Amino acid sequence: MSNSKIKKQMQTSNEIVRFENIEKTYYLGKLEVPVLKGIDLVFKKGEFIGIMGASGSGKSTLLNVLGLLDVPTAGKYFLLNQEVENFSDNHMAELRNSSIGFIFQSFNLFPHLTVEQNIEVPMVYSEIPKKKRRKRARELADRVGLGHRLTHRPTELSGGECQRIAIARALSNNPSFLLADEPTGNLDEKTSHEILDILHDLHQNKETTIVMITHDPEVECIFDRIFHLRDGIIDKRTEAGGEKC
Amino acid sequence: MLISDLFRLSFHNLLLHKIRSLLTSLGIIFGVGSVIAMLAISEGAKKQALDQIAEMGIDKIIVFTQKPSLVGESQNTTQSALLTYGLTEQNENHLREFDNISDITTLRHARKVITRGTTRLDLKLVSTTLNFLDETKCQLVEGRWLSPIDMANKSLVCVVGRNVKRKLFRLGKGSLIGQKIPIQGAVFEIVGIIENNIGTQFPDLNSPNDMILIPTTTSNAIFSYCGIDYSGGGRFGDLFHVEYDIMLVKVTDVAYIEHTAERINSYLLKNHKKSKDWGIKVPLELLQQQEHTQNIFTIVMGSIASISLIVGGIGIMNIMLANVYERRKEIGTRRALGAKKNDILRQFLIETIFLTAQGGMIGIVLGISLSKIVTYYAQWPVVFSPWSIILSIMISGIVGVVFGTYPAWKAAQQNPIDALRTE
Ligand SMILES: Nc1ncnc2c1ncn2[C@@H]1O[C@H](COP(=O)(O)OP(=O)(O)OP(=O)(O)O)[C@@H](O)[C@H]1O
Ligand SMILES: [Mg+2]
Repeated sequence: MSNSKIKKQMQTSNEIVRFENIEKTYYLGKLEVPVLKGIDLVFKKGEFIGIMGASGSGKSTLLNVLGLLDVPTAGKYFLLNQEVENFSDNHMAELRNSSIGFIFQSFNLFPHLTVEQNIEVPMVYSEIPKKKRRKRARELADRVGLGHRLTHRPTELSGGECQRIAIARALSNNPSFLLADEPTGNLDEKTSHEILDILHDLHQNKETTIVMITHDPEVECIFDRIFHLRDGIIDKRTEAGGEKC
Repeated sequence: MLISDLFRLSFHNLLLHKIRSLLTSLGIIFGVGSVIAMLAISEGAKKQALDQIAEMGIDKIIVFTQKPSLVGESQNTTQSALLTYGLTEQNENHLREFDNISDITTLRHARKVITRGTTRLDLKLVSTTLNFLDETKCQLVEGRWLSPIDMANKSLVCVVGRNVKRKLFRLGKGSLIGQKIPIQGAVFEIVGIIENNIGTQFPDLNSPNDMILIPTTTSNAIFSYCGIDYSGGGRFGDLFHVEYDIMLVKVTDVAYIEHTAERINSYLLKNHKKSKDWGIKVPLELLQQQEHTQNIFTIVMGSIASISLIVGGIGIMNIMLANVYERRKEIGTRRALGAKKNDILRQFLIETIFLTAQGGMIGIVLGISLSKIVTYYAQWPVVFSPWSIILSIMISGIVGVVFGTYPAWKAAQQNPIDALRTE
């Protein structure tokens, strides 16, 4: 197949991400630590993807590669139909800024910034003027139900509220896809549901591809597809609407 | 990232830790403070020294008598030989013939011992010409200056320096004018008091403030050129013959000063073959020398102070490195949210520059206050040159760049994943 044909196919199939035999090996001195051992996968626009697997199976590593925070040691990664290998550090930063939203287990909010300032951070790096930033931050805060806490600082908020702010921040530049590494890992069941509801709502408009790592088998039903990782390879792929749902 | 956001962010981070920022920039504060104070003090000293010389008049050449060491000492013998040395009336007349010399003021020390009770005083009885007052930049405080009539009449009058009252008379209320000073049989009536505020010091004769000045004609009439000089400390003193102690030679134009000094020098060399019993000083040359020495002094002082700036800079670098380590998670998060390496680098660099600039500004205030205190308590003159302030601001900026670059680079090189992994 020629290159242009592949591209055409990608476009028609709404491909956001394609991994071809991705490997990631860490080197600790002379010791090789293979973490990802050949991953093939394709994510399409608007999909809600779950990644599950035992601790140490390489989930976070996979997500970091997806999010351009880390580069694979072998294999091909196409993001929005472009091969990542040749991207410069600056270009990757720009893509992280404009096309990728990160949600962390421990929220990673800036403790000294207010809620609205926290939401604004990615827009600061994309040089959006202050007025416009502020307006967008308020909209997003409203959207995650925290429009009344704009001038509070993260330390004054509950864990669930913090994660909602982090989601608002991740959405601020309208990313093509959202990466969440155990976003409910630090939250109790009730708050977890609130967060999942927000992600679920987001999924409804089918605009954003969401990739979420979780340990919780209970939530399987909200995903379109689930990838099960074991020892650095995809052990099992589950389509949505499994027997439990 | 917009420059305005970059500045706002760095400023915000500084304000977050006010005390820490202040403590961190302490090295810079004291560094800049000492640069400012040192420069102000040395500039002040320079100005004072130069003023003193310049006030004396850069259009003058000072020719003075030196007791030649060969014939000098009384060597504890009871017999004293007559010592004839120094500048003479003949020299004066010859010099007046020179084209570029417009005026000569002469001073002659009568070498009389002046006492109060049994205490010897360091006052000098000096006979001089009428132009003395103007040529030495003295001011009349009270009474009048010596007059042509005094000269013509060889009057027994004197004008005294401002220290004479304190030294010779008890500190009473009444005016000195009209008081009498008896010196070896002659009694001089005080007609005026003068003062010299520019620190003039004559070779061997010191300040006009410690002089009792009488007309040359009077001196010539009642004291001969000869006399006994007890200042050597010997019981019997030295029998001497000195005509003039000092000649203040004024030139018509400053441009000729070096040339004229040369000529006087070679004339005196020829005229005083016997011994080197004279000396010559050109204030203009002294001025240039002094300027040079003072410049070196300023550079040395400035350099010493700059060392504390470097130490301060290293301190800041240290803290910034710790700061980068402490804020790895922030850096990682920023990188994940789209910050480029360059954004991180600039953020930390500008934070450091803010830190040093703030230190610099506080340092300038400190330095100025310090020098004001010095002026107040030690009475040293200080001079603030605007360039010392510009220099300090520049140096603290440069210190910020020099010592901020490495920590900022370190911050930018942080691997975002490692940085995010830390809790
Ligand atoms: N920088 C690194 N250097 C060396 N080994 C690493 C590095 N990062 C991750 N690893 C190793 O890679 C493996 C996978 O790590 P990863 O964080 O992807 O696991 P995970 O599936 O996210 O686990 P968890 O569920 O506990 O978060 C682990 O064995 C880990 O020790
Ligand atoms: Mg993980």
